[in-house]
Amino acid sequence: MTTTSTSTDKAALRSPLGILTATTATHGTGGDGDIALPRLPGFVESAFSPLAYEVAARCLTEYPGDGSRTAVALASLMGDTTTADLASRRVVSGKVHNPLLFMQATANSVLGHMSREFGITGQMFSLSTLDDPVTELLAMADLLLEDPELDRVLVIGIELGGSERLAAAYRELVGDGGRSVPDLPESAALAAAVLLGRPGADTPVTVTAAETSPHADGARHPGGVQGLFDLVAAHRRLPAEGGRLPVAPAFVLTADPHPPTNALP
Amino acid sequence: MSPLTGEVTVTGFGVRTAFGTGAEALRRGVFAGVPSFAPTTRFDTGPYRTPMAGVAPEGPDAVEDWALRHALAQCGADALDMADLPRGSEAAVLLGIAGDCTSVTRYWRNADSETGVPEGAVDRLADAVPARLAELLAGGLGLTGPRLTFTNACVASAAAIIHACRLISSGRVDVAVCAGGYLVEEETFGKFDSGRALSKDGMVRPFSADRSGLLLGDGVAAVVLESAEHARRRGARPLTSIVGWGAATDAHHIAQPHPEGVGLTRAARQALRLAGDPDGATLGYVNAHGTGTKYNDGAETRGLRAAFPERAEAIPVSSTKSTTGHMLEAAGVVEFVITMLALMDGVLPPTAGFTTPDPECDLDYVPNEPRPADLHRALTINAAFGGANTALVLERP
Repeated sequence: MTTTSTSTDKAALRSPLGILTATTATHGTGGDGDIALPRLPGFVESAFSPLAYEVAARCLTEYPGDGSRTAVALASLMGDTTTADLASRRVVSGKVHNPLLFMQATANSVLGHMSREFGITGQMFSLSTLDDPVTELLAMADLLLEDPELDRVLVIGIELGGSERLAAAYRELVGDGGRSVPDLPESAALAAAVLLGRPGADTPVTVTAAETSPHADGARHPGGVQGLFDLVAAHRRLPAEGGRLPVAPAFVLTADPHPPTNALP
Repeated sequence: MSPLTGEVTVTGFGVRTAFGTGAEALRRGVFAGVPSFAPTTRFDTGPYRTPMAGVAPEGPDAVEDWALRHALAQCGADALDMADLPRGSEAAVLLGIAGDCTSVTRYWRNADSETGVPEGAVDRLADAVPARLAELLAGGLGLTGPRLTFTNACVASAAAIIHACRLISSGRVDVAVCAGGYLVEEETFGKFDSGRALSKDGMVRPFSADRSGLLLGDGVAAVVLESAEHARRRGARPLTSIVGWGAATDAHHIAQPHPEGVGLTRAARQALRLAGDPDGATLGYVNAHGTGTKYNDGAETRGLRAAFPERAEAIPVSSTKSTTGHMLEAAGVVEFVITMLALMDGVLPPTAGFTTPDPECDLDYVPNEPRPADLHRALTINAAFGGANTALVLERP
């Protein structure tokens, strides 16, 4: 659940989770790993849906499974703000709405596209999270995997750069609390996806709740996905190295050392 | 907290629609089969194909007065009062909402003007952040439990209720306030107009052969869910129980429902299995998604037939969007309240605006007039863009 000063249940996981595979992608950040924006028919002008689809498709291609027993949860601060701003500017300038913007305005549309391409008929939904969604998404996976009709949960986190409107919203959110405001180029996007199940032969890396939080995440900016990126990075290292790695804010990844798996880049 | 597992009950609700605030307003409108639609004056409807929407005639203006956060707070307070749940309780707050996009429109209207964004105009711009509205709702009600916000379009608040059921039945929380909200505003209105989804004749006629689309409507509601044991211990009276829930995806199209309603069938069957009634033998009513579009209503009919093939023709089905309009992210929770009232009052709300049977919509749609019914259980269905479907089974205590 969203972390708040009054929330009582910080130990997000009741049972361990196993990571089947995990990946990240960035676009337009200026970093070394940036990729060109993948083309996604029907989705225009914004990096939100193409990048969400990219990381989801990598995971679901790497580990195909029973789509009827797979759920998907996608988290972001406020969805596809690029599309929202485009649509809003058309309204105030008196232009006719673009039906494509209508369709892609909700994250349901890209989830529906994933559903069709990968035959996923389990529950798919999107969330708005103020803080890094890693805790929310892993807790969600833990809860959903108690459903006897599900055995895999794909979790996705998206962060977009944005307009001055988004920057103003960030400033209002952080207020005087000392938290940072993201500094991303307007066209930038970051996405991470983790395919989770219960620990087993296919999941050499296990996620458990930390007995004590490695460190608070209060310095992180609203809408950031660094926690998910850290989780993916730890998952890349652990199968080869073995051992335990804490991942902020409240998790420990554990693996027995053995040859590297086919974990995604 | 000492989590108590098991049955999920509803002990309070607050609701606001175009008919006004509270259950009596729903009884006068939805349960009488009186459509709420009228030309809206909240914005200039000149550029659009219709001026019609289900908007409240009274109350604060949706654009200028931050009405969405206020309406959420009021419905939340009403729900707590009915449940007699104290402020300061450790209740989760689960919200289904898209954020208040009037703040975005306002920002760009100012920014694109010759004078730019004036000082102070960005105040409450963060109301466009859906999760922020959950924090505001929880803070305003003094609820100290965890918060989570679902944004998955027209199933968002139903998804919030389903999540609460999972949290409560698994013993993670004892109490959750689930809410949703949408108030008609220009930006979303324009998007639905551009998608040619809005009704051409100013009415919503679900399942009728002459249906031509949906109309948007105001809707805000909150419900208090808690474990039966928790309610019993504090002496709260259960209004209904939630005995089954399901959610499934069509795997068909980014916007259109599967023509056979396969995701809806799957969600309904999940919910019925959980309710211990896989054939729907105990169901006495279905509150359908029933948008009044060509695509939805035939698919939904076929999906319901497949969900309980032996019983489909015997179970009355109605779409209350025919009176409220489509409340988008709030549809799930408002229609949950309507379904609960049907159980409590023993009255089926009709499908208003029904004129002509459609061969592909061949169930009992409770046309135009309310109907007395001695109900034990009812199913409420919602669907959304991307082929998302939800189902909830409610039971009268």
